[in-house]
Amino acid sequence: MKKIALSLFVVGALFTSCSSDDDNGSAGNQVVAPATFQFERNGSTTVDYNGQTTRIEMGGEFVSALNDNTKTETELDGMFTNTGNYFSTTALNESTKNIRSKTAASMDYFSANTTEANVIKADFDSWIANQVSEVFPNWENTATAGNAGQIQEAGGSMRYVNGKGLEYNQAINKALIGALMVDQMLNNYLSTSVLDAGTNRADNDAEILAEGKNYTNMEHKWDEAFGYLYGTDDPLAPQLGADNFLNKYLARVDSDEDFTGIAQDIYDAFKLGRAAIVAKNYEVRDEQAEIIREKISEIIGIRAVYYLQSSKATLGTDYASAFHDLSEGFGFVYSLQFTRQPGTDAPYFTKAEVDAYIAELMEGNGFWDVTSATLDNMASEIAARFNFTLEQASN
Amino acid sequence: MLKKIVFILSIVSVIVACSSSDDSNGGSNDNFDRTALLTNYADNIIVPALVNFQSKMSDMETAKSDFINDINQTNLNILSDAWLEAYKAWQHVEIFNIGIAETLSADENSGFVVFFNRYPVTVSDIEAGAASGNYDLNAISYYDAQGFPALDFLIHGVADSDTTPLDKFTTNPNFEGYANYITDVIAQMRTIINTVVSDWQGSYRDSFINNTSSSATGSFNKMVNDFIYYYEKGLRANKIGIPAGNFSVDPLPEKVEAYYKNDVSKELALLGLETIEKVFNGQAIVGSGASSQSFASYLDYLENSQLRDDINAQFLATKQQIQSLNNSFSQQVMEDNTQMTQAYDLLQGAVVLLKVDMASAFNVSIDFTDSDGD
Repeated sequence: MKKIALSLFVVGALFTSCSSDDDNGSAGNQVVAPATFQFERNGSTTVDYNGQTTRIEMGGEFVSALNDNTKTETELDGMFTNTGNYFSTTALNESTKNIRSKTAASMDYFSANTTEANVIKADFDSWIANQVSEVFPNWENTATAGNAGQIQEAGGSMRYVNGKGLEYNQAINKALIGALMVDQMLNNYLSTSVLDAGTNRADNDAEILAEGKNYTNMEHKWDEAFGYLYGTDDPLAPQLGADNFLNKYLARVDSDEDFTGIAQDIYDAFKLGRAAIVAKNYEVRDEQAEIIREKISEIIGIRAVYYLQSSKATLGTDYASAFHDLSEGFGFVYSLQFTRQPGTDAPYFTKAEVDAYIAELMEGNGFWDVTSATLDNMASEIAARFNFTLEQASN
Repeated sequence: MLKKIVFILSIVSVIVACSSSDDSNGGSNDNFDRTALLTNYADNIIVPALVNFQSKMSDMETAKSDFINDINQTNLNILSDAWLEAYKAWQHVEIFNIGIAETLSADENSGFVVFFNRYPVTVSDIEAGAASGNYDLNAISYYDAQGFPALDFLIHGVADSDTTPLDKFTTNPNFEGYANYITDVIAQMRTIINTVVSDWQGSYRDSFINNTSSSATGSFNKMVNDFIYYYEKGLRANKIGIPAGNFSVDPLPEKVEAYYKNDVSKELALLGLETIEKVFNGQAIVGSGASSQSFASYLDYLENSQLRDDINAQFLATKQQIQSLNNSFSQQVMEDNTQMTQAYDLLQGAVVLLKVDMASAFNVSIDFTDSDGD
């Protein structure tokens, strides 16, 4: 295997060097990132990620609908799969896109592991079904240990939980950040298996455009990764907080002074990587992909630790507040299996590890009797794998 | 030491590729004997398999004529047996969509396959055709209403308002129409296979062997592409992935191969995999031609024996998993789809080995792409 890898590497490296001979003769083409994520060819933009924008919008409506107790399972499943015209706009209903087919569906993690992908999709299906069968019928009942219902935060919001204190809508929302946005971005569109698929590299070198488009396939793949983060934001001047998914939690993490600057780092890496594709410098491209993998994975890790820790303050006193934090934490912990350790083909936490954490959180009466010690232990283990401390993530 | 050789080989091949600027598809200009490989493929593998298939088709036509001349359940059963024998022989040739075969239909990726094995069959087209007599088996809209899937329905399926398969040819108001339809479908298949065999037995065999160009139109390049295309689409997706629901929300038991016969989908899939294994290793599929130059031996030549072994190991693991499945994939996906998706995952495991690693080693560009993006 080493031999193959070595020879492929050599072939690849030499192709790069011979194809750049006629440009400026250096080992790699100079790459200069533009000020913003703006790329044009013949006066028209080459950037297009409408499919990602569509899915983020579908996800937004879907997640809202999960908290509407008048919805049926058919309607909610219909939004997850985009069947039955349950979205608010014709554009979404008539779109060929849907969320479920891109859930746990990356090339690197799931193309040869559809059995596991089906298990993950089935988790989402069962959370939807359980929201309708367990929580909706008890919408007006007060939740107690073992019984689904409503539970109010001290002086505030009403939460709707299952018998273990879990808000399914939060679990689905936060788990989708991992299973859809992070997985598609880090393990699909930023992967060499996708960027360099088929003749993409030769086509990009020769600036052969995708049929009927103003971009090369490789440019487009990169932009689709970009779209899962900025799809509903301003790509030239991201405001952050533009959706209820990854964009929102990048804003949250960036606003923690321990991590301020992460948003700029990610944006810069997207810009430089895209410029590198235009300059046909795939080394720089892949370096930026690794930076994005690390930083995006950190968002998931930081928020998982954050919610596990913040819930402790109200655990046992203000159950609703604690459950809300824990439900978000549940989703971010679930999302850990879709992260990507830079320089590897592996997530920071395997599916088996994540499954064990989830089982631990749901043991017995779930959030009703989870202990601070359990949460501390889990949060510490998560922080230890990443390049941040428990303290940094906890505030 | 080995590493060094590979390293040097790589440099050499790339330098050669770089200097031949007019050859945009690259191409390994090593000294591997491509003529020997192509000769083995043509003479020991492709032509014998095609001739064998042609003979099974002839048997099936005879069984059909006997049935039409004396319509009864016994003769329909004999026709069913002949259909299955021909369908099994087809599994050994679907991969060879090359030469005149790839020019015979309007679908450039599928070529002659559309006349034999596009499924699921559209039954309503057959019923309408039998009722009206108006159908054109050369029209694109009838690609999914002919070939083995159409015969599968005609022999084993029950038409609208009938109670048995045989009723189509006896009590159904359109019984004459059904007899004409089955006759026309088989005639179409025979015409196509006769055309393909004649081409190979005529001039094409020599031009196939002599076309050693390393460009996209060279025989070797086309063989690699046909091999991977069949592996990915004909075998992985059509036989396993689609019924398992890997491209849809739910499993689709009605989309298995030979749905109406139903209990042979595993047998057909294993034959498809056998074709892949034997082509890869250069072994005769039909008869006993000696194992000779092949993709596998080319990998050996390139000092990539590990890749050859990895690919064969993956094929073996896949075969073992498929063997453990229900004879009917329809039953399998309804009763325990996990077993089916595990078979798919094993099949997918070789896609990267073939499509990326092997294709790179051979310096062959893949001429088809997945329409995966959005």
